[in-house]
Order: sequence, then structure tokens, then C-alpha cells
Amino acid sequence: MTAKEIVFTSGPIVAPALALPSREIGACVEFQGIVREIEGGAALAGLQYEAYIPMATRLLDRIFDELHAAHGCAAVTFIHRLGWVPVGQASLFVRVLAAHRGPALRFCADAIDRMKADVPIWKRATIRPRR
Amino acid sequence: MQLKILAFAQAQDRLGFRERVVECAPGDSPRAILASLAPGFDGAGVRVAVDCEYHDWDAPVGAASELALIPPVSGG
Repeated sequence: MTAKEIVFTSGPIVAPALALPSREIGACVEFQGIVREIEGGAALAGLQYEAYIPMATRLLDRIFDELHAAHGCAAVTFIHRLGWVPVGQASLFVRVLAAHRGPALRFCADAIDRMKADVPIWKRATIRPRR
Repeated sequence: MQLKILAFAQAQDRLGFRERVVECAPGDSPRAILASLAPGFDGAGVRVAVDCEYHDWDAPVGAASELALIPPVSGG
């Protein structure tokens, strides 16, 4: 894989400008996870996120290498917001670049599934924003 | 040796701390270290990581410097 970018940020996620690593890129898949108002039947103002950043970064790096071996994508950008994320704003941004849409779509879906299974990031619905 | 214990999310709630340093031996397991640190701690559903790698609760920690308690993850 030519490029892996893994970022944790406490501010709103801003999608980085698209930079194609080669002229062989034919697919760009982007996913954003948005905080919903209704979670478990309750109306929320938002969610509080935390992460064990060194381990999360290491695991994501490994997961992306494994998915690259399986699907052969060219680049991945992963941005996860931490701290308080209000309803309607993105907590997660993933962008995958590949020659074809199939590998890019599968890489993106598998990356999110693997993150949700193993990567030490947590959301909490009961905590209100600290001001 | 000294080992830093990190507790996240629900594990932090249960233990009442985010970070603590304990004295232990390389042959000690995470289970034994937690039993000594917090005898009433219920680790059900909690995974343990040693130096940023998932680890068996009953395997020695070796020369590790950091042990993290990882409750069920929920990123995204």
C-alpha cells in the first residue's frame, strides 16, 4: 500500500483534499459515521469518544496491511474524532483508493468491521459535554 | 519491576482510576496483578493488552511496561 494515514482528532473532522497516488486509481470510496440522535431508544445530544491511541494506531496499521494483502488497495485515510461529538456530526471518516470499486468497497467495509471488533475506541452515551 | 496499569471506559468506572503504577514480577499474569490491585474487580467481558497487544489473562507479562484493560470496544 502506498499510503496509510491514521488520525485521531478532538475537533470536527475535515475531509482532506483528494490526492491520487498514481494514475491507476479508478475508485475512491468514502464513508462517514454520523452520530445519530436516537441510541437505544433515548434521545441524545451526542456521544463521548475515547481511545487507547497507541494501541488503536498499531492495530489499525496492521489491519490495513492485512486488508491490502486481501484486496489490494492503494491508499487509506482513517480519521476518528475523540471527545464530545454532537448529533449530526461525523465521528469517523474513511477513504479508500484503489484501481477498481470492488476492492475499495470491500476494504472500506472490512476495515470498519475490524475496527468495531478489536480496535480500542469507545463511545459513551451518558456523558454530557464538559464545558 | 514497575508496570503501568491503564483502565478505559467501563473498566475505569469499575476500578475508579485511569492510570496506576504497580510493582510486579515478569512471571506475574494480568489476572494475578489485577487480583492484587483490585480484589473485587469483575473482569467479565474485559480483554487485557500488554504493551499494546492483546494478551492472555493468565500468561506472564514478561518485561512489559504497560498493561491496559480493554472493555468491549465501540468505535465508529
